[in-house]
Amino acid sequence: MIKEIKEIYAYREMIATLVRKDLRGRYKGSVLGFLWTFINPLFQLLIYTMVFSVIMRSGEDQYYLFLFVCLIPWMFFASSLQDGSIAIIREQDMVKKIYFPRAVLPIATVTSGFVNMLLTFIVVIAVTLISGRGINAAAIACLPIVMIVEYILCLGVAFIAAALTVYLRDLQYIFGIFVMGLQYASPVMYRVDNGLVPDRLLWIFRLNPLTSILNSYRDCLYDKVIPDFGQLGYGLAFGVVLTLFGFFLFEHLQKGFAENF
Amino acid sequence: MDSEYAIEVNNITKAFKVYYDKSNSLKEKMIFWRRNRHENREVIRGISFKVKKGESIGLVGKNGCGKSTTLKLLSRIIYPDSGSIKINGRVSSLIELGAGFHPDMSGRENIYTNASIFGLTKREIDERLDDIIEFSELGEFINEPVRTYSSGMYMRLAFSVAINVDADVLLIDEILAVGDANFQRKCYNKLREIKGEGTTIVIVSHDLSSIEQFCDRSLWIKDGKIEKEGPPKEVHLAYLDYMNDAAIARQKAELERKKQEQEEAAKRQAEEERRRKEEEKRKAAARLRYGSQDAVFTDIHLLDEKGQDSNSFTTGEPMTLNLHYTVKTKVTDCVFGFGIFRSDGLWVYGTNTRIDRLPNFDIEKDGSYTVKIQHLNLIPGSYWCDITIEYGAGIPVDYYKKALKFTVFSNTADVGIARFPHSWELNI
Repeated sequence: MIKEIKEIYAYREMIATLVRKDLRGRYKGSVLGFLWTFINPLFQLLIYTMVFSVIMRSGEDQYYLFLFVCLIPWMFFASSLQDGSIAIIREQDMVKKIYFPRAVLPIATVTSGFVNMLLTFIVVIAVTLISGRGINAAAIACLPIVMIVEYILCLGVAFIAAALTVYLRDLQYIFGIFVMGLQYASPVMYRVDNGLVPDRLLWIFRLNPLTSILNSYRDCLYDKVIPDFGQLGYGLAFGVVLTLFGFFLFEHLQKGFAENF
Repeated sequence: MDSEYAIEVNNITKAFKVYYDKSNSLKEKMIFWRRNRHENREVIRGISFKVKKGESIGLVGKNGCGKSTTLKLLSRIIYPDSGSIKINGRVSSLIELGAGFHPDMSGRENIYTNASIFGLTKREIDERLDDIIEFSELGEFINEPVRTYSSGMYMRLAFSVAINVDADVLLIDEILAVGDANFQRKCYNKLREIKGEGTTIVIVSHDLSSIEQFCDRSLWIKDGKIEKEGPPKEVHLAYLDYMNDAAIARQKAELERKKQEQEEAAKRQAEEERRRKEEEKRKAAARLRYGSQDAVFTDIHLLDEKGQDSNSFTTGEPMTLNLHYTVKTKVTDCVFGFGIFRSDGLWVYGTNTRIDRLPNFDIEKDGSYTVKIQHLNLIPGSYWCDITIEYGAGIPVDYYKKALKFTVFSNTADVGIARFPHSWELNI
């Protein structure tokens, strides 16, 4: 285990190269190029603002921000699962031909999604400031902790998804459907604790590690309070266990990768 | 850890599953989970060897013997089914050169990408960058996108990265097809230099002389096992002997096969010749008899005055054609006919039922027709008789050329084609 982690550390430049390639390649060929990383969420926010403050009015006073501060972490999670599931098969030519620690591929996928989220959060924080909602410095300071907890959870998910999908290609589509459903079992579009969700379904949300993580994001950015670390601790514990399990599973299954294409 | 050795391979085996029809999708796996038929092909059947640090070994063997699989196992692309492989130190392989090269990025950027795949950190790459660029001899081109490179330049760059990784163990599969003669010499020199620095090298090659130059030891792998190991020259001698024997056996078999093939070819040719002749005959016959064959002549006779079959007649005698036919498909608007030709092909006479203004008729069942010639006014000689069944405007049903042959005799020595009935009146 220690040996494997050391080796992955030695390959950190490869991870960095893959992340750079992915971020740069995302908007490849477009005139504005990398700027789209910022333009995209900005316009998405603008549309939400119009829809939710003019057409669909909800109980939240700034619903578009309420939604957005959780939608972005949610999309990071969703992409970790979906892009993660094809992390190995997408690079099968390389896997077949040369050696490198295979864990590098899902790590790079998750890291790339993470960096993308960080960049998007620049837009979010800017809009929060401009819209007059304001920020609480102490709460914002907690944000990196929340992000790291989510990163760990995503890593575990990506390890498992990447390794299994090599052996069963259908999983990439099954994960797509799973993600669609999971969004509504997570507090992305609504709060869990204000009575909207029926009591008999609450256990789903309590079990879901994303509930603790997304609530913490909302605490930091929307409600401007220091997140409940007790709640976040559940997400962290879940993430660490999943990542350890995922890594062992991945290391076990990776021996057969090159023969399965 | 026994630090004396760089590579320790302990009784490894490897079998590949060869699927008859591979299924990776859920549906197929569920439906055919019993039927996922495959064959286990054992490629490595128990190989053990140790390589000392700084030692170079060569793996030789004929195609498919398992030497490239061994190299893949050493590089950890695939893993053995049983047994263990222990490698001390960083491994670099010259198996797939240029992995991860991106055509749109410059040579310099690709050095970073490619070297990172070998596990080098940014600082390590920075240190080696000048060496790599110099070794590749790319000069100015290093800042051009890789897609503009010739394949030689591409390989030179890839080789330069791989060889400058400073690995402890270097795995090489049929390297020296890189670049021109000069660059190849440079590669050899670089390899010698690397070897001198104490790098352990494993080479797989069919080029025995290059292994003899480089390696301290050779392993001959045969059918997934080590057949012989020792100083390269010795091993190669045994290997070449074996390959020679195999080649001689193969040549013999080839010769045998060729001989058989030749015999068969001769037989085939004779047969073909025979068939061709038959075909020609049949075609000639077909030329003499053509048509839709909806109705065909069966029994045909020439009859003399007394109604007896005959084929010799005297000039002026009556001759009767008695022709039987069988009908396969109804022929409407039918026309019967006949013609007489002299043996040299001259058309003497011909007519049919239409010319002779007989009423139109159809034929549905087997029947016959008779043509009575009251006076066969032909000058002596041999003649052919054509007989025909046609329909409509002369479309042949059974056009039977030279169906009957007859000879005409006479005790008169008149000449020409036909004898016209005549009388003389002399007023002398």
